[in-house]
Amino acid sequence: MDDISSEDILLEEDESEMMHLTPAQLVDRMQETWINEIRAPEILPYKYEYVECLLEHINSMEENIETLQTASLVKVVHQLEIDRFRYIIASYLRTRLEKIELHVFHILKEEDTRIEKNELPYLSDGELQFAQEYKNSIEQHFQSVLSFWPGMPPDDWKNNPVVPNLDSFVFLKSKENVEGVIIDDSDENDIVDLKEGSQVILSYSKIADLLKNDKVSLL
Amino acid sequence: MNPDDIEFIAENELVQVISNFNSPVIALIKGNVGPFRAGLTTHVPLWLAVNLRQRRQCKIVPPSWMNVDDLEECKTREKNLRIFTKMPSDHYIEVAKLLLDCSSDDIPQADEIRTIIKDIWDIRMAKIRNSVNSLIKNSSSFAALDNLTMFEINSMMPLVPACLSQIMRLKKPPRGLNTQSQFPSSILINTTNTTNSL
Amino acid sequence: MLGEKAYSLVKELEDRQCEILPYNTDLVTEIATEIVHLYDQNHQDVRLEDSRTPGTSTNLMPTVRMRHAAIQRNQRCLLAYHYNRLRLLRQMRWEFGSILPTELKENLSAAENGWFNKYSTILGKYMRSIGENGGLNLAVDLKPPKALFIEVRCLVDYGKLELNDGTNVLLKKNSQHFLPRSECEELIRRGILQHIAN
Repeated sequence: MDDISSEDILLEEDESEMMHLTPAQLVDRMQETWINEIRAPEILPYKYEYVECLLEHINSMEENIETLQTASLVKVVHQLEIDRFRYIIASYLRTRLEKIELHVFHILKEEDTRIEKNELPYLSDGELQFAQEYKNSIEQHFQSVLSFWPGMPPDDWKNNPVVPNLDSFVFLKSKENVEGVIIDDSDENDIVDLKEGSQVILSYSKIADLLKNDKVSLL
Repeated sequence: MNPDDIEFIAENELVQVISNFNSPVIALIKGNVGPFRAGLTTHVPLWLAVNLRQRRQCKIVPPSWMNVDDLEECKTREKNLRIFTKMPSDHYIEVAKLLLDCSSDDIPQADEIRTIIKDIWDIRMAKIRNSVNSLIKNSSSFAALDNLTMFEINSMMPLVPACLSQIMRLKKPPRGLNTQSQFPSSILINTTNTTNSL
Repeated sequence: MLGEKAYSLVKELEDRQCEILPYNTDLVTEIATEIVHLYDQNHQDVRLEDSRTPGTSTNLMPTVRMRHAAIQRNQRCLLAYHYNRLRLLRQMRWEFGSILPTELKENLSAAENGWFNKYSTILGKYMRSIGENGGLNLAVDLKPPKALFIEVRCLVDYGKLELNDGTNVLLKKNSQHFLPRSECEELIRRGILQHIAN
């Protein structure tokens, strides 16, 4: 399969989807994205469009209400709504930063692999830069800790990075009918069909792809 | 995600309010609310209803399910059936808590409602405990959770997923060992009992 | 015993999990000395082993391996100690902002102080990069926004109180009000207002 052309199609689909989203749908998507990120053990692809779009809405709304009287009901109501969306975005980005810090060596390696394979990155530009600088800061600190070492300080600790536990269990809801989800690696016949709307608990590794393809959402 | 976040999500639910002020439509990002006409009802998200109520600018119309008769029926059904029944709202606990805390004056028989909701919650939590117990005893790697609400599912966090993950870890053969020769596969994974209904 | 110091260093982390204790320079130096000592001994023994004529080995290798294991364990404990302190520092950056209270700062090593500033810088840079309008401060909005109005009774004739939104409230003895929690907390502490619980 030609990777690049399939990505182009994906990109186009994403863009056209964004054009068709109403603000209400955008907000729902953002909320779902936020919950997925909190519940997933690994970092998920960054939803650039949702964050940027919602931030834009917030900014233009803030400009619009600037001229309103401070205590007016309309202004208070708008401000309350803005605070809610700002919280979702902030919490979403914080959750991602925490994962990046915790699994920085693993995440950067995965990101490199994705770039090599010409796949879409999971991190935003800002996150990628943060991740690299964070990793450098840890390495430098460890080097200074081990600077007493006779000869070359060891760096074998880098070979054993903290990785997310993809086998951890998650609660999820199926967004459409999905057939043949393998629930146990030891037995390929041990499969289950998920009906649209059904809720189950199972191991994240079994549904990670379904989640990234928007077939299921985490609870 | 903590209970505060779940409550925050529940605050998106729509409720009816009777305002005591007039205001044209307010065009929020997520959609319009209003117009508000004193004495008339209109639908607003719960977060707004609670806020207006706290400023004494509206009364909240309790959701249609929030009355003693319907909830009693709900409770009886929950008690008589072994499965989890469908709740009248996906956020019945949070909605009830928010409304009973801020506008119990607007809700007839608020105290009774509080008690019944608590009873329903207790019955369902007892069922959850039983199901989780058998889930863990069977070391299942899958369970259906239909009709459980987000708040109820959250009450199982992080213990239940953590337990199951730990069991999976124990079942997994140690790295670098040839599993075939070390354990009979039937001991490793219990395939007969993987499907459990929670 | 080999590795004992490293053990007590790690133990120190566990004793007070949420607090940054003074950097234990003495213990860290002692562990470093232990490592250097073991390293030198191994170096000598390996050289000795290499210089022997084949077949006359005194078999020093088990000792060498044991020392090597001790070195690795010490290294791991050292890194665990320093890494966990960095995680605490990170927590402190989110709690206190980019300037640490002096009494906490005194507990850090020079390198840790440097790391804290670096972390602060890269975090600030990241937050400024969010969106197109000068960034988003992630260190606020830590909890879901709540309409935080509470009911209070005024205990004294206080007079006019101007709220952040510009409205004025007249606080007379025994009058009751719905006020934003943040704006009356201080008055409650001063005994001017009393919080009426639901």
